[in-house]
Amino acid sequence: MRLPLRWQSSLTLILFLFMYFPIAVLGLYSFNASRYSSIWEGFSLRWYQQLLGDGRIFSALGTSLAVASLAVAISAVLGTLMAVGLAKYRFPGKGLYQGIAYLPLIVPDIAIAVATLVFLSAIGRTYFGIQLSLWTIIAAHIVFCLAYIALVVSSRLAGLNPHLEEAALDLGATPRQAFIQVLLPELLPGIVAGCLLAFVLSMDDLLISSFTAGNGANTLPMEIYSRVRTGMKPDINALSVLLILGSGMLAFVAEFWRAGGDSSGSLRSNRAQSK
Amino acid sequence: MPQPKPTTNIGPSSPVPNSSGPSSPPTPLPTGSGPGFPRSRRSLGLPGWNTGKRLIQPLILLGPAGLWLVVLLLLPTLLLLELSLIPGFRLGQPPGAYGLGNYVTLLDPLYLTVMGRSLTYALGTTALCLVLGFPVAYWIAILAPQRWRSLLLLGFILPLWTSSLLRAYAWITILRPSGVLNSILAGLHLPGQAWLNNTPAIFIGMTYSFLPYMVLILYASLEKLDRRMLEAAADLGAQPHQTFWKVTLPQSLPGIAAGSLLVFISALGDFVVPDLLGGSSSMTLSRLVYQQFLGATRNWGLGSSLSLLLIGAVGLAIALLLKWGNRDSDGSLL
Amino acid sequence: MAVYSWANYSDQELIESFGQATGIQAQVDTYDSNEVMLAKLQAGGGQNYSILFPSDYMVTQMVELEMLQPLDLTKLEGLDALMPQWQNPTYDPGNAHSVPATWGTTGFIYDPDRLGFEITGWEDLFANQDKLANKVTLINDVREVLGSVLKSQGDSLNATDLEQVEAAYEKLLAFKPAIANFITNGWEDQLASGDVLVAMAYSSDAQVLIAEQPNLVYVVPESGSSVWTDTIAIPKTAPNPEAAYAWINYFLNPENAVALVTRLRFATPNQATYDLLPADLQANRTLFPAPEILAKCEGIAPLPDAATQAYDQYWTQLTSA
Repeated sequence: MRLPLRWQSSLTLILFLFMYFPIAVLGLYSFNASRYSSIWEGFSLRWYQQLLGDGRIFSALGTSLAVASLAVAISAVLGTLMAVGLAKYRFPGKGLYQGIAYLPLIVPDIAIAVATLVFLSAIGRTYFGIQLSLWTIIAAHIVFCLAYIALVVSSRLAGLNPHLEEAALDLGATPRQAFIQVLLPELLPGIVAGCLLAFVLSMDDLLISSFTAGNGANTLPMEIYSRVRTGMKPDINALSVLLILGSGMLAFVAEFWRAGGDSSGSLRSNRAQSK
Repeated sequence: MPQPKPTTNIGPSSPVPNSSGPSSPPTPLPTGSGPGFPRSRRSLGLPGWNTGKRLIQPLILLGPAGLWLVVLLLLPTLLLLELSLIPGFRLGQPPGAYGLGNYVTLLDPLYLTVMGRSLTYALGTTALCLVLGFPVAYWIAILAPQRWRSLLLLGFILPLWTSSLLRAYAWITILRPSGVLNSILAGLHLPGQAWLNNTPAIFIGMTYSFLPYMVLILYASLEKLDRRMLEAAADLGAQPHQTFWKVTLPQSLPGIAAGSLLVFISALGDFVVPDLLGGSSSMTLSRLVYQQFLGATRNWGLGSSLSLLLIGAVGLAIALLLKWGNRDSDGSLL
Repeated sequence: MAVYSWANYSDQELIESFGQATGIQAQVDTYDSNEVMLAKLQAGGGQNYSILFPSDYMVTQMVELEMLQPLDLTKLEGLDALMPQWQNPTYDPGNAHSVPATWGTTGFIYDPDRLGFEITGWEDLFANQDKLANKVTLINDVREVLGSVLKSQGDSLNATDLEQVEAAYEKLLAFKPAIANFITNGWEDQLASGDVLVAMAYSSDAQVLIAEQPNLVYVVPESGSSVWTDTIAIPKTAPNPEAAYAWINYFLNPENAVALVTRLRFATPNQATYDLLPADLQANRTLFPAPEILAKCEGIAPLPDAATQAYDQYWTQLTSA
């Protein structure tokens, strides 16, 4: 396929560089023997060694990954259903419902974190015996992940060809078939984009996690912010570099393998034909 | 909600009993013809069938998320509302009488300045993200080879895997007067910039943080653009810019609205970037909220009222946008 | 046993050696500010923790809120080895609820050659304001910054006389063009590279940078500044107080503490531990300032609500002027 050379391509390239510039800087200085980026004391793997010997940061990473994956997986289902439902139905109080659905985006993190904690301990513990744990973080993360995913899916839904699902129904599909086989593939890019967004947000959340975490559930941002109190340590930079490289490679391999499996972009090309 | 302590209010209405209460979207009666999916809905809701069956679908779609939001979001937010009505409320002290004292405090010109500054930062960031993000999303969604699209998209958001704190520190390294940027500029014989601890650093830092959001959302909305329409427009002799203004842009309006909204709100809520990069005069609304909840004063009452002000103002903006957006997308749909 | 702590007062080695010595498996969760810890506990979110690391003013506050267990001092060994200043600290008389774990001061860190003049206090900064445009960072904490200026006026770090506080605020406002930012961390690179000439910092942060850049010096203003203490305390709700006492005793034991202090490099308030430290740490004037300087420092104490409100107002004005 020929790569179209337009000004968009150059701008995109520049912005890709912009996005990776700070990462490159972090990466470079993670090999610096000095802890400070203003002093170059020579190449060293000191911070990587220190990182690998640091059980706590990896357990925090594990916690964060678990929270983000579970919260995003659940939110993907709930958020998509909600977006579809909102697009489909009109009912009294819909405006209110929509407003509440947008609320997680607006309420300042710290306020919702504090309020959720007060609520969980006042109501949750007293009446339902809910203890703070990993699950309370996940439950709280679902709230905002849900909203972000629904927002992205809604923007994709808006303006989608409304006759598709109807056609499927006319052809004898059950509503569930129509939803899963026709509507869902249409929405997939939106769902994927929403999940990516929610995942990143969940991985980076400090305040909501801090307040809803039970003991033993230390997330990565909690660990990082606490460590920074006595100065930055490049081992955390090293971790970010490893994370980005690792997940980048993982995605690359997965995509390559998928493309190689002859079903290249199966969903989308099918859809293109069906149009 | 002035009178009830949330405890009394919330106690009985948790998960199970609630589903018939306010959590489930109150009777999702498919009345009239919704503009989004007029016909498909009619074929779903066979008139005359028993209402129970008709309600199942909307309940499945809207129930779980609604329940979750009510329990873990709406109720805590109502709690905030209550706190905001107790002037000077601090946790661990007996709450004072209800009153509007906190909101009166907010009218202080000092807080208005802070709000103005926050708005400027958020609007500027949104504009930058839109202008820069649109071409990128367009390129990835339309111009890039199809099989690379998801990878490119992922590649664009991957830098956000780094903690926002580390990203801010990286920008300090880059932007400080003798930093990486000015070294590069000097190498190119360009004048150095003193952006750190100043407004440009805030815009750079925030745009960096939120550009991928914009690109993701625009991508989701541009990707479905009917390419044949673009080709048809070109075949009919439309100039590229005409195609853009007449075809591409109208079709991606929902995405633009959603993306701008998201970036605007996120920028309004960010306090790491203004804090670390913005210099000594960069107090923003979200930093102020943080300061009230977790600073020396621990004035949760004032913090709550600030939060509610923020919720109210942004909520209003969204409501207007939705109204405008709905009307607009109706027009383009039918 | 669950511990709620700053990230840097414990490490894997400590948890392992503590486990070996006592047979108790400790699990450490971290917080990034006293207020987060307090809010979480107040809202009922920290029921499982047996050990906390509140700072001095937070101890006072938590004692007032009746959130800390009075310590049974008979169960603690080695309290008499604490340095005189910590035998009966103002924030917690008689160490009735808390045992000091580590401490530090607040001061200025700078490179004398690059700056061109010596700093002994705020007056030097105010007098040389024209040379310092956008070259100074101050700590992002209202009480530290205003308190330090209050000390330079001869007032208390915990002044409640609003005229005194306003005077300090006015001085800072006039000094504003010199202030690049209010940041507690993140100034290190800017200072090491000379982009910032003077940073107000905690001694614990300063010594880390000075270890790499010996040309930098850390000074506590002659008029004094704040001395802070991070303590170990047991919350009222602690499910496992016996293990908590074992933890405190482990910290109080000089042999154990010396390994930790040397490894994590913080100032110990324990004379017996200090005596065992390597000579270079003992001589570290950043960590252990001269007694006559320390004598002028005060700890930050909680203020009445009205005063707190005023400080907060001045801070918002200062950071948005």
